[in-house]
Amino acid sequence: MNLIQLENLLDNTAFAILLITMLVYWIQAAFPKIWGLAGLGTVGMAVANLAIAGLLLARWLEAGYFPLSNLYESLFFLAWGVTAIHLVAERTTQKSWLGTITAPVAMGISAFAALSLPNTMQTSAPLVPALKSNWLMMHVSVMMLSYSALMVGSVLAIAFLIVTRGESVELRGSSMGAGGLRRIHSATVPTTTLLSANELEALVAESLMPQTLNLADLLDNLSYRIIGLGFPLLTIGIIAGGVWANEAWGSYWSWDPKETWALITWLVFAAYLHARITKGWQGKRPALLAAAGFVVVWICYLGVNFLGKGLHSYGWFL
Amino acid sequence: MAQGYLFFKTTWIGAIGRFWKQELLAVLANLQLAIALLLGIAVASVAGTVIEQGKPAIYYQTNYPESPAVLGFLTWKVLLTLGLDHVYRTGWFLALLVLFGASLLACTSTRQLPMLRAAQRWSYYQQPKRFERLALSTKIVGGELGVVLPLLKKQGYRVFQADQAIYACKGVIGRVGPIVVHISMVFILLGAMVAALGGFSATEVVPSGDTFKVEHIDSAGHFAQGHIPNTWHGRVNRFWIDYTPEGAISQFYSDISLLDAQEQELTRKTIRVNQPLRYQGITFYQTNWSIAKVQVQVNNSPILEVPVQPMQTVEGERLWLAWVPIKADQSEGLALVMSDLQGTLLVYGDQEEALATMRKGMATDVQGVRLKLIDVIGATGLEIKFDPGVPIIYTGFGLLMVGVLMCYVSHAQIWAWQQDECLWIGGRANRAQITFEQEILRVLAELHRAAQSKSATQTQIALKTDA
Repeated sequence: MNLIQLENLLDNTAFAILLITMLVYWIQAAFPKIWGLAGLGTVGMAVANLAIAGLLLARWLEAGYFPLSNLYESLFFLAWGVTAIHLVAERTTQKSWLGTITAPVAMGISAFAALSLPNTMQTSAPLVPALKSNWLMMHVSVMMLSYSALMVGSVLAIAFLIVTRGESVELRGSSMGAGGLRRIHSATVPTTTLLSANELEALVAESLMPQTLNLADLLDNLSYRIIGLGFPLLTIGIIAGGVWANEAWGSYWSWDPKETWALITWLVFAAYLHARITKGWQGKRPALLAAAGFVVVWICYLGVNFLGKGLHSYGWFL
Repeated sequence: MAQGYLFFKTTWIGAIGRFWKQELLAVLANLQLAIALLLGIAVASVAGTVIEQGKPAIYYQTNYPESPAVLGFLTWKVLLTLGLDHVYRTGWFLALLVLFGASLLACTSTRQLPMLRAAQRWSYYQQPKRFERLALSTKIVGGELGVVLPLLKKQGYRVFQADQAIYACKGVIGRVGPIVVHISMVFILLGAMVAALGGFSATEVVPSGDTFKVEHIDSAGHFAQGHIPNTWHGRVNRFWIDYTPEGAISQFYSDISLLDAQEQELTRKTIRVNQPLRYQGITFYQTNWSIAKVQVQVNNSPILEVPVQPMQTVEGERLWLAWVPIKADQSEGLALVMSDLQGTLLVYGDQEEALATMRKGMATDVQGVRLKLIDVIGATGLEIKFDPGVPIIYTGFGLLMVGVLMCYVSHAQIWAWQQDECLWIGGRANRAQITFEQEILRVLAELHRAAQSKSATQTQIALKTDA
């Protein structure tokens, strides 16, 4: 079996696994009592992650350079990033329902790459002179990872808005630490699995019970943390691009549409992070900004290419 | 009189001071202003990518007519008055950036630094109501302070202990991060300002083998004149392009020498895209290329150097055209058309018919003459830059990367207090609520287990003594 056949096998496999994984997560969300589905979802995500990694590695071997030279490769890298961020977030938070939101994102991206792109856009092309640099790997991979994180984070913000529709909310978690205080008149029962039934009872028996996060809090904090991870990545990616541009043609910033949109994305998410610590902006407004950020990231990633000009217009990518 | 003047002066300064502190600084440090600035700069940047920048006025007159106006208001007059044809260089956009910088500094001095100091000024909690305020707090009967300490240390906390109380924290660095980010942004804005005032950029298109001076200045700041080189000049020893087997461009190369007034070589380097030449703070980048001339021989003539004209097809493909006279009175000639430096060209006659394809070094008989193509000579497009802002901007970049990573760290604090038989414990974190909740619940579970086993042992001891 040659590399090309392996690639064709892997891209369809990745898509199929992600589709099944998404269904598994959704069934689990609908029927939480079916045993073992949560674990199956995690396995699905991990296998999809490895399949995409294998696909990109095969292309790396085939072309001889880091596989981020066209839209097809960058879409799969994006899907890989989404699965990787899902796995990390699921592991640190132990919340298996996370997959009901992240799996469709990863599935959608891989479907776009594997099914809707014409074959001519899937084959790898030789690099143009401007891209022949080690900076390519550094700049583009960090940018793509940040897009993955920001997409996942903003989709979670959209989920937060759906869950809390019609309610007023108070946020917990920001750089100022406005959260962490007890809410009056809310009797939430801890949903954690860390305590056994006995221990829970012992806690309930006492006058002061720890007030744990509810679903809206969880969604909000996950979204905040994942955006909080995507934001430094975006910053480092933009800076790497700037330094590269300065080394290559002597200007770290030239208001090229792509870099301008990366800046716009940065500004929107910076506004989101600041909105969380602003008194008059508490509640849902930060989440609205993050949801708007979802559209902005996609414009930055794909939309700008339709303008078809500037430094980043080589062959429809990045 | 003098006293009165002094009085007047001090109140005047005092009033300005008060105004500065209470009014201006407060407004600048306002977070809503900061968000408005961030989004305002974003919207202006969007405008700059949607509206074509730097086109001649006629472009805007055709694309943004008086009626129907784009979006109902955006006529070419409005567009040009607002400077939307060069958004990023308009006064109001630069004013936004300056205001943004001022807001960053005001916020750092009036909010971030006091908050950092507040975060470092902790106290032990020794009252029930202080614990009751925290969401994640509880009271454990039979809990022991001694058990808490190693548990927290294991989780990576710095633990401070008083007589009957514990304070533990980790991730204070997460409170320093935003300050570093703000300062780094100020560095970047300053660097951009220095670059605009003290830097210059020039473009030179030089045929392979020719010398050049840095004289086609695209832009130069007020203080940049002294840095434009006038005591030395350059020579492009050779310019060439490598092609892939499929005919696509692989890489451009320019072998460049810098020479002093006596033609002595100061430095020499073969540059390519991503590999510039640097000399005395001035950098030469490979950015463009063109075809300068062709060398041909008609019958037994000496080698003729014919200049070429650049052209463009409707599809935007670049072509070059040379006209070679074949009669002494120049009434007839041949047109040579080429699209790259690979040494192949097409020969057209006066009736615009394609007559032959030629390669470098090859001779062909057309229109009754023997035409020999000796060489196609390329020209390199060099971008020459001097930017004194780079060190400042790179410092800003470095700080920004470090700062923004520090911002991910969550600052977590845990308090514990032994009140007789009861152990009060509670905590809060500023960013990672989920992880912190798991962490503290794990600690609480351990404490419960310890308290239960202790009471079990006590019961056993009690039973034993009874027996």
